Amino acid sequence: MAGSVYSFYIFDRHTECIYTKRFNSAQPLRPHAAVTSLTKSSLPPTARKALSESDDAKLIFGTIFSLRRMVRQLGGEDDQFLSYRTNEYKLHYYETPTQLKFIMLTDTRVGSMRTVLHQIWATLYVEFVVKSPMAPAEHPGGVGVANEMFEGGLEGFIGSIFPPQPA
Amino acid sequence: MAACRSPAATSAAKLGVVFALLIINKAGGLIYNHTFAPGLQALNSNDSLILAGTFHGIHAISRTLNPVPPKHSNTSVPNSRNLPTTGIESLESSHFRLTCFQTPTGVKFLLVTSPEQPNADVVVRRCYEIYGDYVVKNPFYSLEMPVRVEKFEKALAGYLVRP
Repeated sequence: MAGSVYSFYIFDRHTECIYTKRFNSAQPLRPHAAVTSLTKSSLPPTARKALSESDDAKLIFGTIFSLRRMVRQLGGEDDQFLSYRTNEYKLHYYETPTQLKFIMLTDTRVGSMRTVLHQIWATLYVEFVVKSPMAPAEHPGGVGVANEMFEGGLEGFIGSIFPPQPA
Repeated sequence: MAACRSPAATSAAKLGVVFALLIINKAGGLIYNHTFAPGLQALNSNDSLILAGTFHGIHAISRTLNPVPPKHSNTSVPNSRNLPTTGIESLESSHFRLTCFQTPTGVKFLLVTSPEQPNADVVVRRCYEIYGDYVVKNPFYSLEMPVRVEKFEKALAGYLVRP
């Protein structure tokens, strides 16, 4: 599959970000385009720079939470938010029946990643996190999610879908 | 190809349906909302206003979330090929697809179609043209205010509603 993946997030049902992973990790997630009319007027330049990874996760959660509600309002209770696209990236969304939320940010050329996110849940999260005897039932602060097997499995799986491209 | 494009052939009823068009002004206020085909939940005017405001905010946030690393263009040509980030351009759900087009003046056109609708970006730009012709060129219309122009309604219905 052509294209590239930028980042991957898991949120639990308490709105908490329990797992974050970035790909092409040499670059920061928040480069040039952080200047918007919103931040420009209200925050000094240093504060804008200080927006960290956890702020990104919060913004992403807020976005999908609102979009999910909006989609239900427009399309009815059984409608599901799948993805959105800007001219630079695409956000894919998958929610499990237990309200775990899987989010992936990719290139715009990438097609639907719904099955991929489902696979990550079914074959990696359930196998290596849920079935792990060491992992707690809930994951406050991401405890017990980022174990070796899950990390390795995720990297291998994403690497097989998006083969590393020559620079 | 052009010869066989009779009105019946161009009718996209089998391919896609345009459910609704919403126009949001640059402050996030809903200035036009019309449903052209059944299929969406009926919203009261208050809910529509909230929806428009919410989308306006999310659109701004989606610009700040841009994860794409900056292109290492040569510094002698500043800003070469670095297009400004747009917000949400299209949103997909299992029942519909929402196409958003933001004009250079900050007005947002939201077209809600069925997921199969082809060329929704072209359709939404045509709606912008119709808006320009019938609303902005109307001397009695004041900008940023709700659109109540009869000819605009007729032109839109003539374009978006398939026989």
